[in-house]
Amino acid sequence: MRIINRKPSRVTALALGLLPFLATVVTYAIASHYRRLENPADKLLPSLESMGAAFWRMAAVPDRRSGDLLLWIDTFDSLWRLGSGMAVSTLLALTIGIAIGFIPHIRSTLAPYLATFSLIPPITILPILFITFGLGEVSKIALIVIGTAPIMIRSTAQAVLDIPREMIIKAETLGASVWQMITRLVIPQVLPKLITALRLGLVPAWIFLISAEAIASTTGLGYRIFLVRRYLAMDVILPYVVWITLLAFLLDRLLLLISRRAFRWHHLGGDAL
Amino acid sequence: MNEAAKKLSVKAVSKYYDGTPVLERVDLDVETGSFCTIVGASGCGKSTFLRMLLSQEHPTRGEILLDGNALPEEPTPDRGIVFQKYSVFSHLTVAENLILAGEFEKSPFTGKLFGASKRAAIAEIEELLERIGLSAAANKYPVQLSGGMQQRLAIAQALVKKPSILLLDEPFGALDPGIRVDMHALLLSLWQDLNMTVFMVTHDIHEAFKLGTRLLVFDKIRHDPQAPEAFGATITYDLPLAAPVTGPETIDPETIAGSIASKPAANTSNPSNSKQT
Amino acid sequence: MLKSLFKASLLAAALSLPLSVPSVQAEEKKDFKVCWSIYVGWMPWGYLQDSGIMKKWADKYGIDVEIVQINDYVESINQYTAGEYDGCSMTNMDALSIPAGGGVDTTALIVGDYSNGNDGIILKDKSGLADIKGQTVNLVELSVSHYLLARALDTVDLSEKDLTVVNTSDADMIAAYATDDVTAVVTWNPLLSEIEAQPNATKVFDSAGIPGEIIDVMMVNTETLADNPDFGKALVGAWYELMAIMSSDSEEGIAARTAMAEASGTDLAGYDAQLATTKMFYTPAEAVEFSKAAELSATMKFVAEFLYDKGILGEGAPSPEFVGVAFPDGSVYGDTNNVKLRFDASFMQMAADGAL
Repeated sequence: MRIINRKPSRVTALALGLLPFLATVVTYAIASHYRRLENPADKLLPSLESMGAAFWRMAAVPDRRSGDLLLWIDTFDSLWRLGSGMAVSTLLALTIGIAIGFIPHIRSTLAPYLATFSLIPPITILPILFITFGLGEVSKIALIVIGTAPIMIRSTAQAVLDIPREMIIKAETLGASVWQMITRLVIPQVLPKLITALRLGLVPAWIFLISAEAIASTTGLGYRIFLVRRYLAMDVILPYVVWITLLAFLLDRLLLLISRRAFRWHHLGGDAL
Repeated sequence: MNEAAKKLSVKAVSKYYDGTPVLERVDLDVETGSFCTIVGASGCGKSTFLRMLLSQEHPTRGEILLDGNALPEEPTPDRGIVFQKYSVFSHLTVAENLILAGEFEKSPFTGKLFGASKRAAIAEIEELLERIGLSAAANKYPVQLSGGMQQRLAIAQALVKKPSILLLDEPFGALDPGIRVDMHALLLSLWQDLNMTVFMVTHDIHEAFKLGTRLLVFDKIRHDPQAPEAFGATITYDLPLAAPVTGPETIDPETIAGSIASKPAANTSNPSNSKQT
Repeated sequence: MLKSLFKASLLAAALSLPLSVPSVQAEEKKDFKVCWSIYVGWMPWGYLQDSGIMKKWADKYGIDVEIVQINDYVESINQYTAGEYDGCSMTNMDALSIPAGGGVDTTALIVGDYSNGNDGIILKDKSGLADIKGQTVNLVELSVSHYLLARALDTVDLSEKDLTVVNTSDADMIAAYATDDVTAVVTWNPLLSEIEAQPNATKVFDSAGIPGEIIDVMMVNTETLADNPDFGKALVGAWYELMAIMSSDSEEGIAARTAMAEASGTDLAGYDAQLATTKMFYTPAEAVEFSKAAELSATMKFVAEFLYDKGILGEGAPSPEFVGVAFPDGSVYGDTNNVKLRFDASFMQMAADGAL
């Protein structure tokens, strides 16, 4: 049989899916082993055991200075910043995106500006953010918003434009006002796509969160990574990276689950990845 | 035909897209209760004509009168519409699609009914659901329905506001022949019960003869082989038909069909023409 | 299945090879690489490479030395610790916490200078160090700024518990100071003088208050140096030739300093101003004397205690004495069985004796 027609069984598929992960761990373990033959205290590729110990220390042993469990403080603060930033971005995407997508005059006014604004690399205007919002939480959240909102607004506006014209005409012939069309047609049609935009937006959001925390902070996952980088503590950094990846993955799956539950009609026709 | 009986008057209407004529000098008077079927080659402007009746598009020249008054500038509930696709709301169940018009009317702010009033609205459409044979599918989403069921829902939804004119743009184009016969029966019975004026664009000449009381054929009168887009189409045949189904056919459908089919052959030099429906 | 697992692990081993074998091998070799980053006391390294002085000395000993500038200071130390470079310019404190704490035996080959006002604490709209109590202080955490703050707080009977430290990137320090919620910063030159120039800024403490504690050193891999003494000789010889030039007010000296000024993004006057707050050891004799002085041992004890207190002195360090530091007279601070940082004055002594 041709290879394109050979499909793995469930068990094989699972095993195949795990294989690259396993290969990464094995590669790491071997590389780490050889480095530690040279220097048992090597910091670049610490052993899996020492990473486990470091992770345990961060998660379960109170910090000597503050008495806090650092991992949980960092995780909570980072998720709070990420959540606030994405909440603001989502709200902006919903309001401005629908206005741009649905009302031609607003589209003419804002679309070119937004297309231009979204091209600004947010990191480059950081000093302006600092002076406008201060060095505290607001500027970190603002960085996430500036980094994600323009794209989310644009994809929401596009989702509105993608609503078949026939549906909008039909709503008009059913006597709907503009506001009613927004509440009963546009928002329900756009929400599942907004969740998709949110899922895609989370990728840059994490990057901006970590960058923001690296610049001025007292807690957070990005703060910790950049702090311990000063003494090359890869035994802390690597588990933190895995932890961030896990959090990002879980958030993504959670959003997909919410979308499937709340917008069953959207997922009946089959799903992408 | 006296002035009072005219439901709709089309007076010297022309439509241009970027200077290219699609329709030229279309004149038509239609009396209340007519069932006009519209046929024509691809790109002859029959869908454009329907969209102008809906106020989705506007004539470049000329005017359209509804009950003696200028047609409203945008789609209104007095003209229902059924498209070939996307006619129903994919995010609403069958029952929700049908109560939507009532919700728009009763709840100006949210456009949504809750609790007892929603249950009352659903009770009101039970008979309609029964008539279109979708009682069992009331809580399904359109994507879960067959093509025929979706179009039955679309027709029922278009009639909820009791429009005096029903516009149908190739409503059965994507359906199997067997299903179409059922749909014809449903459409004719609703038309007779509600005393509507119907305009239906179709590709199927037999369907046009079977359903209509009047057959309108759109085609180009003048034709320049060097510049196929130089001239627009107009109504070339306007045939009164006997009452649907029952009456004997006075003209062989194939004759009309043949005259339509022969024309586009000359158009092959311009493939873009066929994309314009 | 077993066979394919074996194959997979072979492949993995092959893939991991470049990662696992540090380029620095403890053996005799001819090609050496050292790295540096921009700082007033390290600008000569760039000039050594550009002017050809380094090449002249390397040729004399029949070896090849490449001097590479790395834009990020911490990254340069990490690269050295990972084995990518044979030597790197860094402070005594970072040498103890990063390479030495990470098990890389490191030798202080050239003690170049110490900060004598190059690092400082600035308060906004306040006049005395004691006013820092209760404030939020922006600095690069775990850096020499942090150490300076800890030492400064000792002098006014305060501790870090009396204030809040906010880790702030040095690249954003000037922008940070411009915001209203930043009222106290600890930083280094040229950022320090830039911020101090603001009308509401007062420098309440600087490294001149703890002279000789923040030392800037060319650190090299101990094993590499032991196997290749010519590498050390070439570096030291080149360095002190340039020191003699740049400390003079001859045309050549001014030209050298002007080139270094431009490389660090300032002009001759600005660079000379930074040199004024840096105690350069222009002659090898001065450096040897400083390395052999008893104060160095006390300084390293302060540093080790600070690092231990912050929890960054090596994995699970049980005490500040966990990593041993050896001094030129043979004495050791800390664990004699785990000496990873060595102050070795012998190469500088050779330069002082004219034996290179």
